[in-house]
Amino acid sequence: MSKGRILAVKWGVNPNSSSLGVDVTFLLFGAAALAAVTPMIGALIRWRKR
Amino acid sequence: MSERRSRIEHFGAIVQLARPRALVFVDRARARSLGLRGGAAWDQRGTLGDRTLSAPLEAHLQLTNRCEVGCTGCYTGASPEGAPREWGLVEWKRAIDELARMGVFHLALGGGESATLPWLGEIAAHARARGMIPNLTTSGLYGLDTVLAYAPLFGQINVSLDGLGATYAKVRGVDGFARADAALAALRAIKKEIGINVVVTRHNFDELGAIFAYARARRLREVELLRLKPSGRGAAAYASLACTQAQHRALLPSILAGARRHKLRVRVDCSYVPMIAHHAPSRDLLASLAVYGCTAGDFLVAAKATGAATACSFAPPDPLRPRIDQLASHWERPDAFALNRGWRAADEPCRSCTYHALCRGGCKVVSGHAGDSRAPDPECPRVVDHRRRVVRLPVVTGA
Repeated sequence: MSKGRILAVKWGVNPNSSSLGVDVTFLLFGAAALAAVTPMIGALIRWRKR
Repeated sequence: MSERRSRIEHFGAIVQLARPRALVFVDRARARSLGLRGGAAWDQRGTLGDRTLSAPLEAHLQLTNRCEVGCTGCYTGASPEGAPREWGLVEWKRAIDELARMGVFHLALGGGESATLPWLGEIAAHARARGMIPNLTTSGLYGLDTVLAYAPLFGQINVSLDGLGATYAKVRGVDGFARADAALAALRAIKKEIGINVVVTRHNFDELGAIFAYARARRLREVELLRLKPSGRGAAAYASLACTQAQHRALLPSILAGARRHKLRVRVDCSYVPMIAHHAPSRDLLASLAVYGCTAGDFLVAAKATGAATACSFAPPDPLRPRIDQLASHWERPDAFALNRGWRAADEPCRSCTYHALCRGGCKVVSGHAGDSRAPDPECPRVVDHRRRVVRLPVVTGA
């Protein structure tokens, strides 16, 4: 059975009460960096369910 | 508090991670593998972005519109008297209960100056007890003792700092830099998750590098850059403070260079997505980072100090007059937050823009200030170029 996909990751929390803040730091490193991090996020959401 | 919360969505689910702090959007197959079941929400096909979320990700609560500072560009027009019929602790707790039932993950508490409220800590504790992460923005000029006392309850605290030294006064019309700086130092001494909010104006744009250096020197977690909005007193000050088109076009390279040089995390507000798209980054990368433009009435909702629910903090009250403590029933209505949710019906040049599904037409507040809230954001570089081309088209007279 397919384990499915992570569609997006919204990093951090937004303290600003006037707009939705988006973290653009990853734009520095590009898609490769995000692709490298995604498996870790996948493992964390699986691990944290227990 | 549990380490993980999740919420079923039509495309799958959203899972909250506490460390690292993130909201993870997963498809249905991944949600199933996590033991989540979609029920009726998965009866129809669906993808992320093709319809409104089942509830906001975050709610922006203007706990009060009282503030002694009187900044020139204050988007809420805050005053020492505040707004008539402001809510108190009981009403805000009821609102938080409603938002928790809906599955909202984060709260952004602001004002006015919420730090002066004697019940601020109780509100934050109530949000935590309901499983949400409360976050706070403060000027740092008043109520610092309250913020220090309850700092551990907040996920992140940002202090508004629109310039260094004399620039602070030039942008805000109030000489508060020294006190804001002292507040930052005091907060950072007891908590890591401290940052600054910077409203970017034509007066401080060239100082962004120095502001990043300051944040690094103060060991702050992040810098959040906000676009000035023509709202509240900001409407009258807009012409003299708003960034120039050249500055908007230079924004992304400037902030990425600053983030790299000073090793800082940088967040930008939703209204800056047109200026990001101008540099043609990968759409897939933006989508993977949930970089969206106007998601008011979808990813976020706001409430005025009177409890009136609005699509975002700048938006006027919805014609249907919803209250934040009764949001769930309003959220489901097909005509709720129609101005913001109607972004798909776009004029050119948004209609043909390959970033439109992410940007959603830019900031409706800026469009409204220019005369038509439904029109494309008039400060988007693509819109500016498009309008120049249209104006230059030759006039064809009769044969």
